[in-house]
Amino acid sequence: MGDAWISGKPVTLQAACAEAARLLAASRFPLIAGLGTDMAGARAAIALARRLGAAVDHMHSAAVLKDLEVMRDAGWMVTTPGEARLRADCLLLVGTGLTSAWLELPRRLLVPATAPAGMEPGRRVVWLCPGPEVARSLAKDAHAHVEVIGGDEADLPIMLAALRARVAGRPIGKTPVPQEAIDALAGNLQAARFGVAVWSASSGIDALAIEMLCGLIKDLNANTRFSGLPLPPGDNAAGVLEACGWTSGFPMRSSLRADADAAGHDAVHDAVHDPWRFDASRLVDGGEADCVLWISAYRPAAPTWTRNVATIALTAPDARLRRPARVQIAVGRPGTDHDSIEHLAATGALGTIVAAAPSAAISVARVIADIAAALPAGV
Amino acid sequence: MLTRLAGGRVIDPAHDRDGVGDIWIRDGRIVEAPPGNTAADASYDVSGKIVMAGGIDIHSHIAGSNVNAARLLLPERRAATGGWATFTTGCLYAKMGFTTVVEPAVAPHYALHAHLELADIPIIDKAMLAVLGNDDFLLGLMHAREGATAVRDYVAWTLATTRGLGIKVINAGGAEAFKSNVRTFSLDDVVPRYGVTSRAIVKALQQAVHELGVPHPLHVHCNNLGLAGNAETALATIAAAEGLPLHLAHLQFYGYGTEGKRGFSSAAARLAEAVNATESVTIDVGQVMFGPTVTISSDVLRQFNARNQARPRKWVIFDGDANGGGVVPYEYRVDDFYNAVQWAAGLELFLLIDNPSRVFFTTDHPNGAPFTTYPDILALLMDRDRRAEWIARLPPEAVALTTLPSIAREYTFGEIATMTRVAPARLLGLTDRGHLAPGAVADIAVYADNADRAAMFRDAALVFKDGELVVRDGDVTSIRYGRALTVRPDHDHAIARRMRGYYDDRYGISPDVMAVSDGAIGRPDPFELVPCAS
Repeated sequence: MGDAWISGKPVTLQAACAEAARLLAASRFPLIAGLGTDMAGARAAIALARRLGAAVDHMHSAAVLKDLEVMRDAGWMVTTPGEARLRADCLLLVGTGLTSAWLELPRRLLVPATAPAGMEPGRRVVWLCPGPEVARSLAKDAHAHVEVIGGDEADLPIMLAALRARVAGRPIGKTPVPQEAIDALAGNLQAARFGVAVWSASSGIDALAIEMLCGLIKDLNANTRFSGLPLPPGDNAAGVLEACGWTSGFPMRSSLRADADAAGHDAVHDAVHDPWRFDASRLVDGGEADCVLWISAYRPAAPTWTRNVATIALTAPDARLRRPARVQIAVGRPGTDHDSIEHLAATGALGTIVAAAPSAAISVARVIADIAAALPAGV
Repeated sequence: MLTRLAGGRVIDPAHDRDGVGDIWIRDGRIVEAPPGNTAADASYDVSGKIVMAGGIDIHSHIAGSNVNAARLLLPERRAATGGWATFTTGCLYAKMGFTTVVEPAVAPHYALHAHLELADIPIIDKAMLAVLGNDDFLLGLMHAREGATAVRDYVAWTLATTRGLGIKVINAGGAEAFKSNVRTFSLDDVVPRYGVTSRAIVKALQQAVHELGVPHPLHVHCNNLGLAGNAETALATIAAAEGLPLHLAHLQFYGYGTEGKRGFSSAAARLAEAVNATESVTIDVGQVMFGPTVTISSDVLRQFNARNQARPRKWVIFDGDANGGGVVPYEYRVDDFYNAVQWAAGLELFLLIDNPSRVFFTTDHPNGAPFTTYPDILALLMDRDRRAEWIARLPPEAVALTTLPSIAREYTFGEIATMTRVAPARLLGLTDRGHLAPGAVADIAVYADNADRAAMFRDAALVFKDGELVVRDGDVTSIRYGRALTVRPDHDHAIARRMRGYYDDRYGISPDVMAVSDGAIGRPDPFELVPCAS
């Protein structure tokens, strides 16, 4: 089995990269999207975008930007998975999607860890509006100590608003659960010595609810210590966000450019960020982007747009795209086929994952280096 | 390739050189003038120009998770904070003739992140200091009274794992105390649960760094940053050096007394006197300049307490595994009483500390001001009339609480070169930098001798990095990537096994996930090892 195709026909990797370079160089508005790749792949992709004057987007930008909207509008107080595990004497789990965002959450946070000297083991765990499915599973297994308050995710905004009001000592109107339950939880949050609230922007929680939760955390810090733990989406979205941040000053959904000076040097690195304008699906379906480099190395994810666009796909094997890509290259899975540096859910930081099953499969960074080498001079 | 810089005024205080002459470069190093009339492959006429070694910045927050949080918090302040993205950072430093920059505050768990950012900063060489002193492992060692050897091995392991050039301590114990809801923390306060004082942490790390032979002394961010009356804390910390090397960072932010009707005054003159009298202590200034910026600090307690001063009104507080950090945007205003006192206090430190090799040139970028203000600060130091013009714009009641108007001193080129080249190289143990003698790395800045010193230092006429021309007339002409400078002191490798057990027990991970390997960086020859004293 080969690992590179042009219009569905097997070709050499070299030929595929040459065709990819030709398509990108001819494009009036190139787009690099998906970006499900490790840090080496992300840095290579961003450097290529800079050279092409391309827009960059990540497949999980919607969730990333939901959190970021709150952060850059109002700021927030956040902590690490390690502090949530070792220090928290009160865990407030908020809404749905937490265990799908972080598969290891039950093992890491719900089971007692070795606490640092002088800290009492054991903690209060409250899950706010986990949805009926999680509530049922919590009731019947080893996590029966988890208190569940509220049922449906749709109740989160009013529940968080009510909690914040009660923490501030203000009256509240009708809530989905009896006020005594809200009051008791408000009291428990205020009594925590170091509480941590956990949420996932990949769930149905909206930015206003996240902002309410972050406001609640700030209010609690008037008298005690409380912090937040936003769980990032997968496919190294958090790592790609960091790389976009340091290379451009902006998150994804930005357009990058290097303005060469008269001598041909990259004198200025410029960038424009607009979460609406540089949404990959909108750029393709609106007919603005005319060539896409789609990257999904962790799993064979397909893009969500419907319009036909010249596509170069770097994906884990067995990707089924809606339409066949002009160029398709099968790449290795980071952390499986080759070592990977990426954002780790367990640490909340960039870390190294040693290849679980090292193979000859080529990495995204290598493919992009080959494409860049095949670009004509002056691009 | 043989390169000649011909006929410039060569200022190299490391060798008492200040006179017209040539500099010769071969294979990235400065070499002796070749015999006879050997022709250079490339020759630059620099007559009438000033030739110095490349500048070295020992304390500038240019990379890492807290810096990146500031970028994402403040997209609208991208332009105002200068050098915001990695590419621009390298270019702007190079344009000013700076060729080596140290990121001074990297939490070990974010070392890999910081090194990836540093790797994307072009032209300059860089390094980072690893932050200890609020981490459970060290505090646990001290709590258990395990002694100096254990601390030393742990410090050495941290340097090796993080690829640091030195160790910094930031409000020792204060971040840990804040997690126990302590809201003020000073040098002799005790860290809850661990029963050790801030002073004991500073002393333990100072001793470990010294005994390991790490060239850069312990880099200390004192307690009580920014608070009225905190000069007492700085004086107590200076006294605590007790004859061993100690570097105090951004001393301006501790230069405050309690005089005047607002209870806030400059105590910089007292601090300068103490520094002058304490030979083993060095300081950098952390000069404030007026304008919008953002404060980025791993002193999470201080940043939390400053949160309501955020302009615009948004801020990030991060409770990290150890220090964490905070990002609070801020604007220093020329008509603000407090900001005016801060501005003056920094200049007083520069001008009242006698020896320019013991006072280092920083703004604590971006905390006091973006590093792009360096040329303006150099101009202020070299020109008392320029200072007087600014003093006239400040609130008079602020000026009355400083000694600045009475100071006539003007820095010479030689003193500037000592402060920004010779001394930083020595402080960091970089024997082949900061000077222009044969054997030195050919990091060289050439400036037009312009009466407008700010213009002169903003756009270097020529800059060479490793002998390669990278800047001409203030424009970057060539993009290349430098190295990260590191130390790796000898230690008992049994510590590695112990750390493995500790990380497995506490975090359920291997410490290898955060270690920085050569292959991680993605560029050739990413590191340069700086020798430790044996």
